[in-house]
Amino acid sequence: MSDLKISGLHKHYGSFHAVKGIDLEVPSGEFTVLVGPSGCGKSTLLRTIAGLEEASAGRVEIGGKDVTWARPRDRDIAMVFQNYALYPYLSVYENIAFGLRARKVAAGAIDKRVKRAADMLGIAPLLQRLPRELSGGQRQRVAIGRAIVRDALLFLFDEPLSNLDAQLRDDMRVEIKRLHQELGRTMIYVTHDQIEAMTLADRIVLLRDGQVEQLGAPLDLFERPATRFVAGFLGSPKMNFLAATVTEGAVVLSDGTRLPLPPGRKVREGQAVILGIRPQHIAMAGAGALPGHVRVAVVIELVQPTGSRVHVNMPLGGTSIIAEFAAHDVTAPGERTTIDIDMNRAILIDPQSETVI
Amino acid sequence: MTATAHPDRNFKYWLVSPAIFLLLLIGLFPLAFSLVVSFMRITMLETDTSFAGLVNFTQLFKDSRLWGSLFHTALIIAIALPVELVLGLAMAYLFLDKMPGRQLFVSLLVLPTIISPIVAGATWRLLFDNRYGPINQILGWFAGHPVPALWTVNPNLVYPAIVFCEIWQWTPFMFLILLAALSNVDRSLTEAAEIDGARFWRSFRFIVLPAIWPVMAIAILIRGLDLFRIFDIIWALTEGGPGTMTETISIYTFVQGFRQFETSYTAAIAFLVIVLLTVIVTWAIRRMGLAK
Repeated sequence: MSDLKISGLHKHYGSFHAVKGIDLEVPSGEFTVLVGPSGCGKSTLLRTIAGLEEASAGRVEIGGKDVTWARPRDRDIAMVFQNYALYPYLSVYENIAFGLRARKVAAGAIDKRVKRAADMLGIAPLLQRLPRELSGGQRQRVAIGRAIVRDALLFLFDEPLSNLDAQLRDDMRVEIKRLHQELGRTMIYVTHDQIEAMTLADRIVLLRDGQVEQLGAPLDLFERPATRFVAGFLGSPKMNFLAATVTEGAVVLSDGTRLPLPPGRKVREGQAVILGIRPQHIAMAGAGALPGHVRVAVVIELVQPTGSRVHVNMPLGGTSIIAEFAAHDVTAPGERTTIDIDMNRAILIDPQSETVI
Repeated sequence: MTATAHPDRNFKYWLVSPAIFLLLLIGLFPLAFSLVVSFMRITMLETDTSFAGLVNFTQLFKDSRLWGSLFHTALIIAIALPVELVLGLAMAYLFLDKMPGRQLFVSLLVLPTIISPIVAGATWRLLFDNRYGPINQILGWFAGHPVPALWTVNPNLVYPAIVFCEIWQWTPFMFLILLAALSNVDRSLTEAAEIDGARFWRSFRFIVLPAIWPVMAIAILIRGLDLFRIFDIIWALTEGGPGTMTETISIYTFVQGFRQFETSYTAAIAFLVIVLLTVIVTWAIRRMGLAK
């Protein structure tokens, strides 16, 4: 059974076409992340699901009911906003209880549910405070509490962590994932942060220019991107893209470097391609070459330590590629070294259609 | 030590003293002067300027026309102020969303407020005219026979006419201020409330009203004070008549001072008004939580 079904959804703002025909079905209990660069229509899509925006065309079904023209309050949804949207003149308790009071839940039940939600989120001691007396992380917890207390069919999150600092964001991400496991509810989560998308999602819907670019499990998208856009969007540091030509069963870069053709790809002799290599699939050359790896001599250009790992830039094929090594593999720029590139996991992209071959 | 360490410590008071002096001169002097006058026996008809003690003030309490005029003023405030507030708020809600021609409509709606009240009153007197006025004419079309309503004379019609003009002229003021206040309410709050299942009233009561209250309270205060001083519209429409039926405190004060030339008594009335207003405004500011 699916809790949400969207078909042929369009949204126009005047002459701006924000959502261009989206079909999406979200199974019960799934954590779906809508991700994409800013302006891709992900927030608009979420707001249309919530009923805060009217669909220009298409259909939205929640829990098997057509709600395309229903008011937000009649849709059985709860939502967490980017700026928390806590009611400033009500206490934390009243903020959480607001939706229950509006829906005429019995007073005793309200108290029990508010306290249970507060316990779940560790905000029980804050119940009598006003939102302005809370820190950002606490406010976000209250906002989540306000959503989960409602026991709605569908939970919507609109970039809930983007106003938090990095440390807090990591904590809250864990918290949200844990909540999803405990509640087992259908959640739809909008973010522009690919790490949030990868870590939280059962399924990622990657949007671009108001359309679904690719949809699937996080690792599917990461390992088998359908287009250059998907390959470049997911993963950090970004995938390296190198212009190349297929010559005599090899991929030849613009500086003449010959790399073996990844197995099982349908390419013509002389075809122009873009070679995509993830920074994680480049390693410092070890004792013996691994199968499918190719050894290349390079000069280190730039070193960015991140703690346990180090990001290293080096010129290859007429551009600067980035590789991720263990922290102590590289010492200084200017060093000459050899690297192993895992060609089995490299991808080839058709430069015209930008789709993966 | 402090005195010697800061020889110019009092210098700042010297710097502000001219301004303070000027303020006292133009603010306090007329007040003190009228207080002095109110204890005398000055009229513009005689040359007697002897000391009268509390005569004028005891007279105040016996003057039923004075208390009548205060009642008329309160009556107009009690009707016009809530209507202007609710109407202005409703209009502000209507114009909250973006729509084509919004700017133009808002400008048109605000026009009555920029007309001088005496001119507005005179215009409405013409419109209300029992024989030539378009209002009776239009009512006649609906009634099917000529309507000879005496809007500015008939005891049953004068208050509706006055209150109508007042509302017509000043609702746009409320509208404009409340529109600005409403536009500043965080949209995501009302959206969150809507998703939470709150209907209009709950969302207004707990989210919108607390947010716009400081601005709304000031608007109520300003309009309340304006209404207390209401003069022009009524003067143009009825001159306080029929009889003294629509005489407000401002009109009565004017009549006492400049029609009957009771200068000292007028000063006493003015003082009563000052005391009344001070008490009411202080109470209102406290009550509305504006003093914080």
